[in-house]
Amino acid sequence: MTSDAIIQIEHISRSYAMGDEVVRALRDVSVTIGKNEYIAIMGPSGSGKSTLMNMLGCLDTPSSGSYFFNGVDVRTLSDDELADIRNKEIGFVFQTFNLLPRASALKNVELPLIYAGLSADARRERAIEALTSVGLEARMSHKPNELSGGQRQRVAIARALVTRPSIILADEPTGNLDSKTGQEIMALFQQLWEQGNTVIVVTHEEDIARHTHRIVRLRDGLIESDEPNDAKSL
Amino acid sequence: MPRASEIAESFRIAVSSVRANLMRSILTTSGIVVGIFFVVLMGVFIKGLDAVWEKTISIIGKDMIYVDKWDWAGGHSWRKAETRKDITFEQAEALCARLEAPELAMPLARRWGGSVMVGNKSMNCSVMGTTSLYGQTPAGEIESGRFFNPMEEQQGTNVTVIGYGVAKTFFPDGNAVGQTIKIKGFPFRIIGTIAKRGFLFMDFIDNQAFISLEAFKSVYGFQDRNFEVGIKAGNERMLDLVRDEAVGVMRQIRNVPPGAPDDFSVNEMKAFDSQAAAIRLGIWVVGIVLTALSFVVGAIGIMNIMFVSVTERTKEIGIRKAIGARRSSILMQFLLESSLLCIAGALIAIPLVQIVVFSIRFFLLNILEIEAIEAVSPLLPLDLLAIAIAVSIFVGLVAGIFPAIKAAFMNPVDALRFE
Repeated sequence: MTSDAIIQIEHISRSYAMGDEVVRALRDVSVTIGKNEYIAIMGPSGSGKSTLMNMLGCLDTPSSGSYFFNGVDVRTLSDDELADIRNKEIGFVFQTFNLLPRASALKNVELPLIYAGLSADARRERAIEALTSVGLEARMSHKPNELSGGQRQRVAIARALVTRPSIILADEPTGNLDSKTGQEIMALFQQLWEQGNTVIVVTHEEDIARHTHRIVRLRDGLIESDEPNDAKSL
Repeated sequence: MPRASEIAESFRIAVSSVRANLMRSILTTSGIVVGIFFVVLMGVFIKGLDAVWEKTISIIGKDMIYVDKWDWAGGHSWRKAETRKDITFEQAEALCARLEAPELAMPLARRWGGSVMVGNKSMNCSVMGTTSLYGQTPAGEIESGRFFNPMEEQQGTNVTVIGYGVAKTFFPDGNAVGQTIKIKGFPFRIIGTIAKRGFLFMDFIDNQAFISLEAFKSVYGFQDRNFEVGIKAGNERMLDLVRDEAVGVMRQIRNVPPGAPDDFSVNEMKAFDSQAAAIRLGIWVVGIVLTALSFVVGAIGIMNIMFVSVTERTKEIGIRKAIGARRSSILMQFLLESSLLCIAGALIAIPLVQIVVFSIRFFLLNILEIEAIEAVSPLLPLDLLAIAIAVSIFVGLVAGIFPAIKAAFMNPVDALRFE
């Protein structure tokens, strides 16, 4: 347990009612993630990694166990407080990009700042800065359907960055991209980590996990292994 | 409290959403258009009625009261009034003499449906016997010539002052003064005409001829005749005092025992006010029922389309929640959208009503030549427009609340997974 832990999960479980059956997506998971880590969460489909990601991203709350985010017990938070944590502390990057189709790249990146209550000028400035940092300064007024897959994911990463969150949480960020573009996106995550960000990538591809420094493997709702990525650890 | 940036964003989303589905939005809001159309039209109608009514009353004199055997309110009190003894000329005269509070008081004798003739032409009009004081009341305001004077009154000279309707019927060119008119066969010289007093459903007021009481006695006789006393209070504030005094004095004159009800009535223009209020209430009730019906239908349509809109945008709701939108933001976004739909309905309805009101007014004024309509403004009053907008926003909120709650309480994980 490190003092600068951002995420501290202890013995959490999560079950769903699917009809008459109770599905136990997570059984007993404990993970601690510190500041400026670059970590992959791996596992086959059905292993519980998506559930864990939703949990880490405060989109969902555990059925039992405890989750401290920056020292705050997430289970005691109200819906609005969870929304504020998602807004300020967590930057999501999704497999399907999840951009608003009718809004320009700039508008999409500004969106989290709207919910953060920033003025129009400040929003614009920060969004331009974020888009520039992912190399899209020339594409800001384009709508998602006018951008390539890689560019869309860059917009999504800019949106995740723009609130300067504690963690960047990427769910299969290269899943909808060809391998060359995927490598470019992973290079971008590498760069973000180098700049001091904490990056968590959820994936089932060994190729992607190879880029990270620590790999947590899940199977059947339990942690199978949690080890440093030898190839990468310095 | 949602932040200003969120409100602005919600508004922007709502506008773009309504515009993105323009045809659907217009069709959806048609129920609201109909509702607002009728609400405003009804409002204009009632306001118009009020304006015409107000003008009528003020022309005849708001401070006039009439002590009479008959009660103007009519209805069942008519039977009661029928059993009362007539007010005799002496009683009327005594009342006039003993009243101190009012500005003017005069006995009146009426002959409904008197026959008057000029040449071969005849018409039915009411003939009223009164004193020269009547010329000082608003109802006796002279247009041309003069009212008869106390000398003519005492001598019972055959002179008459005729109402606007009578003058117009016999002398459309306006040269009535100086001509002779026959009242029940007796020739009377016209010395004055009275300005147009009647308005809308009180046109009978213009169909009167005024002669002195002395002349009235000669023509119709005082035997078995009921008299009234017309009293001009002086101003509206004096009305209560004058009424009380008139009742007290008249009870003495007619020897009404203490505790017994009055055997006469005190009539005022206000008596018609309550009838006008009843008519207005009737219009409101019918109108409210009709418009409420169209609003219910309209609101169901809006609610339906809002549920569709929420479902269509499940994914968007998920994205917004994931990046930090609170429930209140989502709630507001959809409430704004439904309100906007309804306001759009109001904005479509208002020009339509304006056209209809303008057309009806033009038709009544210029085709049917109902001058009374001049009292009604051709433009929609601002307060009605404000009511229309307020009602549309209210309906929008009511129709949007359930879809908006559904959206606001969506689980973000499920919403994000929605395709």
